[in-house]
Amino acid sequence: MKRNSITLLIGLLLVAIFVLLLFTFQVRTTSVAVVTTFGKPTRSISDPGLYGKWPWPIQKVYTFDKRVQTFEDKFTEDYTSDKNTLLTSVYIGWRITDPKAFFPKFAGGSVVEAEKILSGVIRHAKSAVVGNHPLSDFVSANGGGTNFVAIENEMLDAIRSQVRGNNYGIEVEFLGINKLGFPETVTQDIFTQMTSERNILISQLQREGEAQAQIIKSDADRRANEMLAAAKGKATEIKGEGEAEAVKALAVFQKKPELAKFIWSLNAMEEMLKSNSTLIMDPQQPPFDLLRGISTNSLAK
Amino acid sequence: MERSTKKNGLINLFMLLLIGVAGLVVARVTHSQAGQIAAVFMGIGILVAAVSWFQMRLEESERLEKFEFDELARSKSSATLFEARDSETFPAQRSREQFERFFVPGFTALLLIGEGVGAWLLWRWLSKTSAAAEVVKPMVALALFGLFALILFLFGKFSATIARLEDHRLLRPGASWLLLSAYLCFVVAVGVVFVEAGFPRADIYVARGLTVLLGLVGLETLINLILELYRPRVKGKLARPLYESRVVGLLGQPEGLITTAAQALDYQFGFKVSETWFYRFFEKAVGWLLLLELVVLFLSTGIVFIETGEQGLLEHFGKPAAGQNALLGPGAHFKWPWPIDKVYRYRTEQIQSFDVGFTPESASENQNTILWSVAHTKEENFLVANRDQTTNTNSETGRIAPPVSLISVSIPVQFQITNLLEWVYNNEEPTNLLQNIANREVVRYLVSADLNDIMSENRKEAAETLRERIQAASDQHQLGAKIVFVGLQDIHPPVKVAGDYEKVIAARHQMKAKILDAQADAISTNALARATATNLINLAVSERVNREINAFAKAALFTNQVPAFEAAPSVYKQRAYLDAYARATANARKYILLTTNAQEVFQVDLQDKIRADLLNGLSVTPKK
Repeated sequence: MKRNSITLLIGLLLVAIFVLLLFTFQVRTTSVAVVTTFGKPTRSISDPGLYGKWPWPIQKVYTFDKRVQTFEDKFTEDYTSDKNTLLTSVYIGWRITDPKAFFPKFAGGSVVEAEKILSGVIRHAKSAVVGNHPLSDFVSANGGGTNFVAIENEMLDAIRSQVRGNNYGIEVEFLGINKLGFPETVTQDIFTQMTSERNILISQLQREGEAQAQIIKSDADRRANEMLAAAKGKATEIKGEGEAEAVKALAVFQKKPELAKFIWSLNAMEEMLKSNSTLIMDPQQPPFDLLRGISTNSLAK
Repeated sequence: MERSTKKNGLINLFMLLLIGVAGLVVARVTHSQAGQIAAVFMGIGILVAAVSWFQMRLEESERLEKFEFDELARSKSSATLFEARDSETFPAQRSREQFERFFVPGFTALLLIGEGVGAWLLWRWLSKTSAAAEVVKPMVALALFGLFALILFLFGKFSATIARLEDHRLLRPGASWLLLSAYLCFVVAVGVVFVEAGFPRADIYVARGLTVLLGLVGLETLINLILELYRPRVKGKLARPLYESRVVGLLGQPEGLITTAAQALDYQFGFKVSETWFYRFFEKAVGWLLLLELVVLFLSTGIVFIETGEQGLLEHFGKPAAGQNALLGPGAHFKWPWPIDKVYRYRTEQIQSFDVGFTPESASENQNTILWSVAHTKEENFLVANRDQTTNTNSETGRIAPPVSLISVSIPVQFQITNLLEWVYNNEEPTNLLQNIANREVVRYLVSADLNDIMSENRKEAAETLRERIQAASDQHQLGAKIVFVGLQDIHPPVKVAGDYEKVIAARHQMKAKILDAQADAISTNALARATATNLINLAVSERVNREINAFAKAALFTNQVPAFEAAPSVYKQRAYLDAYARATANARKYILLTTNAQEVFQVDLQDKIRADLLNGLSVTPKK
């Protein structure tokens, strides 16, 4: 009996919890709820708190997150107005503003379904806006920046008008471009271009180095030649001065010119015969005349 | 009776097989994860029922063999023929013993591996698929799983009742699995009801619960295997099948909880534990203890402990608690029990971070040297403006590349939650949004920045600008976060062209080297020129001195020669001539032609026999 009462107590407790769960539901601050009665939406709740309901299958509660949800679009390729291909990816922030309108449009209020629909809307708006702008509106270091923010606003406006027009029960709060790029083939071309730019720089640096080296060497040669020329001039000048001093001694030779000429001739002859000389002597000339009459090994006729 | 046991065992096996396959098909069609895991349980039940049915057959053969042996023993007068009761005499007994000794432990070990690995794989599978799981055709699932539960329950209850009879113990494992499967099918059906009642994750929670249960059954099998080694063997007492799970038995027949526990203890310890005072007290108070535990469990949800560095967000029926009470700092806090009050914890003091432009790779974490030309992370290429742009046409494709460049950046962004209410209530995925904002600001900055500027002198300024912009955008979206740090830790050309950038640096060094070489040459040239110039001047000076001294010396000599000449002019001249002649020709080669015949012609062949130096200095005047 005692055991049965405990079992009954526990059973009642569990039943009470179960009944509470069946007849009540909570809505968090972050959520909105739609209550359907026999499948028809009858009540929309956006304020947080505890609410009652009839149990399933009479009433059913669908709750949705009413906070801003971030959805990131795919990285898609579009044509710019100057015929460049550009890959763009955007993210949007959207929130459910009218759960009653949102609920039937997206397969039982599925956020995944909503984002599928949004994805198409975003891609359409994105392609249209990208096609209206040249590449320089997206990327440019000149002119103090780009039209980046204006392009984002154009995309946002296009998406908002589509979403509001169809009364999806959602509001797109913001949009941002979070990725820009090029297709692989174009990327390769840009790499080639960047390489070419580097090659130009390399060539420029090489030629510049050679030119500067040549200038430095040339300057050095010029200075060297100037120094040598100056030194040669100075040397000639010094030699001239020596000659001028030496000439003063000529007066002494003028006292006996024939002797002076004879001595200078002897000196000259002596200087000339100092090296690499071969002489064929005439025996009639002194001092070889002394050799005359001496038998020799002259050749027989 | 024996035939009835075997037949019941076969029916158990057949029912588990039939319902198991049907359950799996229904679960797959309706996308019920709990249903699929229930089918896994039934699969294990099939194995257990099959093994127990086989064991029943062996025992039946043994009984038949024993019966025949007894019959023969009674009919023959001489018992000597059957005195030797060795294994060859009782092959069926030997088969049963071999089966229990080798196959049953081996099968139980395999069962353990299957249960353990199964639980692990199912848990992983649930983690991957739970996000997208949604039960379809719930009414079909509800109806069929309800039906399965009913069929299994009826057969299981019948089988369990028979299993209580003597010599029917081997029906018990199959009966337990049948009953457990019946309850699991019921739980799956209840889960589907909850899904329909507005708790879409109920099926996932049931699936997770069943996975944990499978793990527990595996754990029990492991414990059974270990305890089997130490269990005292009482002669004549029938052993419980090793593969029979007490947990399954308990869950299948919860009314026998106490009895099962008592039997288990008695069986394991080999004496009547169930007759001790403690056990009897526990048996009497177990209901109150259970109730007390539930109450304590419920009340324990009324106190919450917030760890250091954390902040708790207290919600009362889904609304943040009034005033500042909504935010709970570190320490103990009282609240209304669940589900009235709920607390969500966040690490608000922790510096959190994410990366823009790269994905760290564990393989490159240990690299000590990071080079532009070697990929050290999974990098993204960002578009960047370039003022030095030159239009380039690809020679192979003929396309003109767009007037932009690409750059790789690695930007770690660190942030801290400063306003928890804003962080939680304004955005569904605030961290994801913050990452998108950071990506957007980096893209926006780079497309209007110059490649060369940002890679060099504007780097620090760029990091600060980015931090300010990300903070501003974060505030605009009311994220409640403070951007603590934005670092341009790595910014360089893409790996594919990084080598070309390094070549430019090499070329710059080569240029400097050439200039330095030229400067060295210039220094050398100038120094040599200076030396040569000095030498020239010195030579000139010495020549001048020499010339002057020589001139005056010769003049002095001449002054002294004049009196000698005047004294004997011809003799003096002749002597001077001969002296000079002798000195001058001292080293010269001389040919003296001594002959008295002046008319004689001498021919001297100078071509070969004369020394080479004879002709030095001679030249032939060309014919006009």
